Amino acid sequence: MPLLEVKNLTKHFPIRRGILGREVGVVRAVDGVSFTLEEGETLGLVGESGCGKTTLVRSLLFLEPPTTGEVRFRGEPVTVADAQRFRRHVQIVFQDPYQSLPPRMTIGEIVADPLKIHKVGDQKTIETRVRQLLAEVGLDPARSGDYPFQFSGGQRQRVGIARALAIEPSLVLLDESVSALDVSVQAQVLNLLKDIQERRRLSYIFISHDLSVVRYMSDRIAVMYLGRIVEHGPAEDVVEKPLHPYTRALLSAVPSLRRRTATRARLRGEPPSPANPPSGCAFHTRCPLARPECAERRPELIEWLPGRQAACHFALEGTAENRRD
Amino acid sequence: MLREFGEYLRTRPFALAGVIGVVAITLIAIFAPWVAPHDPLAQDLMASFKPPAWQADGTWKYPLGTDLLGRDILSRLIYGARYSLLISVGSVLLGTAIGFITGLLAGYFGRWTDTILMRLGDIQLAFPFVLFAIAILAVSQERTWWQLVLVLGGSSWIIYARVVRSRVLTEREKDYALAARALGASRWRVLFRYILPNVWQPIPLIGMLNLGFFVIVESLLSFLGLGLTPPTPSWGTILADGRQVMMVSGWVAVFPGVAILLTVLSISLAADGLADFFDPKLTHGNFRRVPLPPAERADQDPADGAPLLRVRDLTTIFPTRKGTIRALNGVSFDLEKGSVLGVVGESGSGKSTLGLSIIQLLDAPGRVAGGEIRFDGKDLARLSNRELTAIRGKRIGMIFQDPSSSLNPVLTVGYQLKETLRRHRSLPPHQAHEAARQALSAVGIADPDRVLRAYPFQLSGGMNQRVMIALAMVSEPELLILDEPTSALDVTTQAQLLDELDGLRQRHKMSMIFITHDIALISSFADDILVMYAGHVCEIGPRDQVIDQPRHPYTRALLDAVERVAVTETSRLAAIPGDPPDLTRLPPGCPFANRCPQVMPICHQVKPRRVAVGPNHEAACHLIDSPPSAPSQYGTTAVEAGRAAPASSVVANDNRSSRGNSSLVETAEDARGTNSISSTDRGRGESNEG
Ligand SMILES: Nc1ncnc2c1ncn2[C@@H]1O[C@H](COP(=O)(O)OP(=O)(O)O)[C@@H](O)[C@H]1O
Ligand code: SF4
Ligand code: SF4
Ligand SMILES: [Mg+2]
Repeated sequence: MPLLEVKNLTKHFPIRRGILGREVGVVRAVDGVSFTLEEGETLGLVGESGCGKTTLVRSLLFLEPPTTGEVRFRGEPVTVADAQRFRRHVQIVFQDPYQSLPPRMTIGEIVADPLKIHKVGDQKTIETRVRQLLAEVGLDPARSGDYPFQFSGGQRQRVGIARALAIEPSLVLLDESVSALDVSVQAQVLNLLKDIQERRRLSYIFISHDLSVVRYMSDRIAVMYLGRIVEHGPAEDVVEKPLHPYTRALLSAVPSLRRRTATRARLRGEPPSPANPPSGCAFHTRCPLARPECAERRPELIEWLPGRQAACHFALEGTAENRRD
Repeated sequence: MLREFGEYLRTRPFALAGVIGVVAITLIAIFAPWVAPHDPLAQDLMASFKPPAWQADGTWKYPLGTDLLGRDILSRLIYGARYSLLISVGSVLLGTAIGFITGLLAGYFGRWTDTILMRLGDIQLAFPFVLFAIAILAVSQERTWWQLVLVLGGSSWIIYARVVRSRVLTEREKDYALAARALGASRWRVLFRYILPNVWQPIPLIGMLNLGFFVIVESLLSFLGLGLTPPTPSWGTILADGRQVMMVSGWVAVFPGVAILLTVLSISLAADGLADFFDPKLTHGNFRRVPLPPAERADQDPADGAPLLRVRDLTTIFPTRKGTIRALNGVSFDLEKGSVLGVVGESGSGKSTLGLSIIQLLDAPGRVAGGEIRFDGKDLARLSNRELTAIRGKRIGMIFQDPSSSLNPVLTVGYQLKETLRRHRSLPPHQAHEAARQALSAVGIADPDRVLRAYPFQLSGGMNQRVMIALAMVSEPELLILDEPTSALDVTTQAQLLDELDGLRQRHKMSMIFITHDIALISSFADDILVMYAGHVCEIGPRDQVIDQPRHPYTRALLDAVERVAVTETSRLAAIPGDPPDLTRLPPGCPFANRCPQVMPICHQVKPRRVAVGPNHEAACHLIDSPPSAPSQYGTTAVEAGRAAPASSVVANDNRSSRGNSSLVETAEDARGTNSISSTDRGRGESNEG
């Protein structure tokens, strides 16, 4: 049985105008996303800002309950009513190391609070647990009385990880958890996350706009564009032999030592607004391979190669185009 | 904290006077029965209207004289302090309590709670407060202190409520509040344990200011006959008594007036001091520049032949309460016209400080403590503020990581851009519009008309950053400093923006200093790379040399850290263990010693000198055999060795300029050509395998 099953999840935000708050439209932030996650597995979620990654995560935690769709945890459906119970098993680590920790609590208090909320043990056990947790994420337990501003960005992110681990979740959502850090510090934190996963058999949903990082962390990768998954498959295949033109574009944008990406592969412009998505294939306004039918028919996410899905009418031709070049 | 405040007060005589005043008045009020020579209500009809002691007919029995009923004014004033303070302090406490709670609830629960509470406040604000007070107080026969507190306090809550509410609105959206909810914290826990500790800070200050205000309002009400019912003394009632006998016995009115004045003055001086102590930026502005004194040897370089920017031994410090942060420690480099210098290092290595030092925009208390920054022959650190304005923002521009902090949120992009265009080029309005459109097109904005009409918050981060660049380009700067301009953006947007910058730089023959933590990002963009660590230059040189033959262990570590596309899931990423040193206590030896994989005993004792390791390529590390290597061309070592080698530095500079503008463009073209081929090669290889 998979740890987490998500079926057809949508999250729509109404657009309201005027003093009466008349609904004049909806933003389809997440628009029919399905996936499963096994115990101990990492699913990478990649896409540009605004493609719905963060909304998806918040709906999964029921911080903003999904509009429609089904979330099953170990086979049991999760509803708004029992979100609180579900949260003991699912935790999150945020992006911004400066905003994600309460500035006027010591890091010891921050890590202890989840234990207090869930009434795990007495003061004594909580103290021991906090020291263990800080040590586990590579922080000096002797500093548990210090405040977040006394730590560097990477160290704060470690505090955030310790806080998420405190109530021993089985799934941790990592929402751009290293994007705000220096590259050299990113490496430290990513290695730490992998070690913890091995030790605790955790599952991760790892979110980033940078495919190189996602690839390092993930077993499978799902590429999102305008609220939908447009490609999905084993991490290595998706990065080495992408099926969707969007995946290729993301890949070409990753900075690498002295490789200036070919301007030809550069994505032009910004993603369209999810309040008013383009007809047919949502990517057709920026796709280098777009043809007339792309604006008319929406491609479904279908399996083109074993274990590999893509939502593009010409998924296999894309790779052929690479070859022709 | 209290000790720190004491220390701080010593340097601030006005604040000290204010605090002493407040404390004294409070003590007098508290200990009134012991301090006052007489009962404030005791009448001595024989001594009606005794003048103060020092006047003829005065007596030391009544130092400040008496009133109509022969009551001692001094004693009445001392007791009056009790009531005046009781009323004002009580009103402030009541106002803050109501305001704080409503602000918290309105801000956190929002929706109808918010609407009702805030509209109520609006109505109250719209209604003249004094009229309201008069109306209520006029109907009551006997006015006691708590009635005044109710009226004054009850009408001031809205000020606090608004401040608290708007702070709650900001805080509750922060990730830590969300994290608390995700942890399963109840709403009350999120509000009281997480949000509350971050919203109360401005309240004591507003309360202090309000306190002074209430002291005045209390006397005003008494003056109008609406204060405490006689004979209870308060400064207001004593003042009101005095009013009637102003002509004959002026002192009765003067002394309470003085008491009120001194109290209000003390309170506001103390409040000022407190505000300054807690947030120095609030009152001082965060920017104060003092030019360096002229150098002893003013060997003005001739402008021609010299590089556009020549930085020598630049030292920048931030004196703080916890010690002096040495953010830059002798940074030297040259920047030729039209070339791009990439500055790389981890957070806190001083990259931003370098950029801000050059453009002379350091936040107080930061200042350039030594060295020179010669831009086109002029030393920016020594120019007067007037002279600088001709350069800053005109010949040198700067772009920051967060564009929204540099754009005005309440003006459209078009307005801001046209305004800048008009200032710089004095264009008539219709031409300014067209010029603005072109300026936006030049930075790759496809639909300039839409962007011109938009407010910054309606645009994405990448779009705002383009607008910032367009704004900086209006004056066609010769040097553009970019501090992590793409670090907050997606990789896709980042790649687009780099393309635009490359185009601009080639079209305008502009020099750039590009600051980043990601060496991969500038590995193809910069001509030269400067690697910084703890405010020191570790390595500097042409990009090919620095990337292919790095000589400093820190450069190698940075390079390893970005190689991750090649990493497979089983291997681990190369990370640099540990943290940079504390800049207030730099070690005597190599600043990288505590993290360096190749550290040797000498590294802990002796700071490595910067030496040449190749053409225009220098590094500071003991691993490089120093004696045979050439001295640094940037004069850093030459200064130490008694400025020995002017000849070699001239040669070196010639070397650099021989690789001038025309060849720069070629190199860039070359790099692009080969790079795109190699990347397609890679792509082809991969898909063939598949
Ligand atoms: N306004 C300031 N007040 C006090 N210290 C500062 C200030 N600005 C920067 N610093 C200190 O200067 C050092 C270098 O910082 P910075 O130049 O921002 O590095 P970077 O840009 O490489 O991250 C850091 O230790 C930082 O804390
Ligand atoms: S369906 Fe058409 S527009 Fe969409 S990704 Fe495929 S080729 Fe591009
Ligand atoms: S001087 Fe020593 S500690 Fe510093 S970088 Fe070189 S080898 Fe490492
Ligand atoms: Mg910086």
